[in-house]
Amino acid sequence: MRRNQWATLLVTASLWLSGPGFLTAQAPPPYARTLETYTVPDVVLVNQDGTKVKLKALLDSGEPVILDFIFGTCTTICPVLSAGYANLQTKLGTGPSKVHLISVSIDPENDTPKVMRDYLKRYRAKPGWDFLTGRREDIDKVMNAFNAYIPNKMSHYPLTLIRDPKTGKWIRIFGMMSSSEFVAECRKAGVL
Amino acid sequence: MSGWRSIPFLSRLLAGACGLLLLAAPAVAAPPAKPKAPGTVAGLPADKALALGERMYRLGILPSGESMPSVVNGDVPVEGTAFSCSSCHLRGGLGSWEGGIVTLPTNGARLAIPRYWKFPNLSPEERRELKLQNPAARPAYTDETLAHLLRTGRDPSGYDMHSVMPRYHLSDPDMAILIHYLRNLSARHSPGVVGDTLRFATVIAPGVSEDDQQAMLVPLNNYVARHNQFSAGFGNRMYLGVGGNEMSGAYRKLALSVWRLTGPPETWEAQLDAFLAKEPAFALLGGLAPGDWKPIHAFCERAQLPCLFPITDLPVVSDSDWYTQYFSRGYYQEGQAAARYLHGLEDSAPARKPVQVVQDSPEGKALAQGFRDTWAELGQTAVPEIPLPEGKPLALATLEELLAREKPSTVLLWTGASAFPALAALTNGATGAFLSARLLGSQLTSLPEPVRTQVWITYPYREPNLEPKHSLYADTLLGGLTQRHPETRISTRTYALVQILRQALMDMDRHFYRDNLLDRIGMQRDQILPDYLRLSFGPGQRYASKGCFIMQVGPGPSPSLIRKSEWVIH
Repeated sequence: MRRNQWATLLVTASLWLSGPGFLTAQAPPPYARTLETYTVPDVVLVNQDGTKVKLKALLDSGEPVILDFIFGTCTTICPVLSAGYANLQTKLGTGPSKVHLISVSIDPENDTPKVMRDYLKRYRAKPGWDFLTGRREDIDKVMNAFNAYIPNKMSHYPLTLIRDPKTGKWIRIFGMMSSSEFVAECRKAGVL
Repeated sequence: MSGWRSIPFLSRLLAGACGLLLLAAPAVAAPPAKPKAPGTVAGLPADKALALGERMYRLGILPSGESMPSVVNGDVPVEGTAFSCSSCHLRGGLGSWEGGIVTLPTNGARLAIPRYWKFPNLSPEERRELKLQNPAARPAYTDETLAHLLRTGRDPSGYDMHSVMPRYHLSDPDMAILIHYLRNLSARHSPGVVGDTLRFATVIAPGVSEDDQQAMLVPLNNYVARHNQFSAGFGNRMYLGVGGNEMSGAYRKLALSVWRLTGPPETWEAQLDAFLAKEPAFALLGGLAPGDWKPIHAFCERAQLPCLFPITDLPVVSDSDWYTQYFSRGYYQEGQAAARYLHGLEDSAPARKPVQVVQDSPEGKALAQGFRDTWAELGQTAVPEIPLPEGKPLALATLEELLAREKPSTVLLWTGASAFPALAALTNGATGAFLSARLLGSQLTSLPEPVRTQVWITYPYREPNLEPKHSLYADTLLGGLTQRHPETRISTRTYALVQILRQALMDMDRHFYRDNLLDRIGMQRDQILPDYLRLSFGPGQRYASKGCFIMQVGPGPSPSLIRKSEWVIH
């Protein structure tokens, strides 16, 4: 997958370099989409309410799940990913959420339940969006399990993982999505 | 206005690799500037507009009080209160680099001059002098082209910014206010930049021993001397650096003043004002005070003067203050760790009835406050607190009477080693106790042996057996200074400060603005340095070490510490 990511970067860079008119002015750069199988580690994390959460049970429940990796004081990528989550929740309406949105902290030392609550409040998150933190060792296990490990949080990358509830496989989106692309990917995965 | 023009391939490759989205489109002609009353912005006095613009930039709130609306990634609406300009461009406006996305500077000084692909930080005058004539990637911004960029994401050369940059839907008056703020943001170097020298100061309060002073001053002065020695022959590297890298342009000589305070703490702020007026400093480095750091913290907030890593265990604990960057929350953090550890015990029933015994001292009160705040945050009910006058040892009879009356499962003894004789009251085995390693100091290993299995210690540093390999380099560099009074950790903490400062000065480049210095520290990667298990940073994070171990004292006359917990953070 590392090779895939490099390939994605090269493809993306070459698209940028290919000159005018390739992309519309407002669209995000193209993202890479792959289908993956992951084994969720058996770790206990803590959510924004301070409640312990068994990640394996949460992700393997058969319910539609979307996962990303963020941190509370991130400058660029996480705010945009989170705006995507917030917008998806808005599109899903006010009824009981069909999709469980999960953000896993990659800065567990700073992202306490209080920090995570404040973060979700800023994005007007509705029930159905959980922000999880935990011991650094456990967070590392989760990042490794999803081939998303980064030793330094400042060098993380935009990643969204959508679990197909029928097959249990994960759609791995590397890059930024527009709102319409995000909805389309959710539909393809059968979570909407 | 310039139209789209071809860009040299290498420049485009560089931009692509940096994650800049280069899209070509004809530049849009700027609308004619509207006449405005002199000294006003959108009909408001300039200083009022500046304050409103700051609120827009930092908090994403419009002058009307509503959230700034914008769109990212083509069609994702975003509230300004979710994230604002300063989230990415940072408080100083010099931008950031994260996850392959470059956020360009948006401060007044940079907006006012053209941007170049190579050596973009040189001024047009410096470029002429150095005969660097490669064409500008974009011209200087006018108010009109800047407004166009903020609304459409397109710069005056026709390049579209990355789609993660919000496109703001602002009215003309709101736009004028935001632009007024950007024009004034980091527009002139901060005080303390004098010619080719960056001036720093360190504060020493009365009551600090000569040994402790030297433990901080020797590493600081060594660093300044070494830096100045190495940078003496740089010449043009003040401007150009090596191999096209302008980072070396950040080189300035350093100067360090020592501001020695006298008298009671309530007079310190006035003394600091006088020092600053006499010798403007860019930032304070380290600093020593035997008690509360609050007066110096308050001065720095008011003077908007960064204070980097004061050597204190009694910091001001705040979620919003900006100017002092601490190593940790000190004693407060140990109290927090005790609360989190007790709350997190699987068999939590016995932990439900703790009692705090609080010595009336700054340290005792900080420990108790940390426990109290965190215990409440965890949803627990308030616990009884027994005050203990300052300097008075905890008597055996007092503790026995407390245990009989409250029947606590745990007693948090926020007092020093003078409580050791009273610990005999714990020998019934029904009650555990917490003590602070920092408060016990070198007497930690004298804990009475019969109660060692019932006493938990909050220990805010790396495990002692693992420390030597992390301190070895500092020990060597400082010629054994760190071993003179290892329990104070003053010289090792100063060493850590120097390492972080060194990186921050390089990252700050030639943008000598105080907020930018703090922004650059906020963007540093985690550091593994002496004393603390890990120092981590982030924009606005002001306490670099965030955890604490819970230990027990092992058996024997020279006991080792036995780790009983992970690095407690939640």
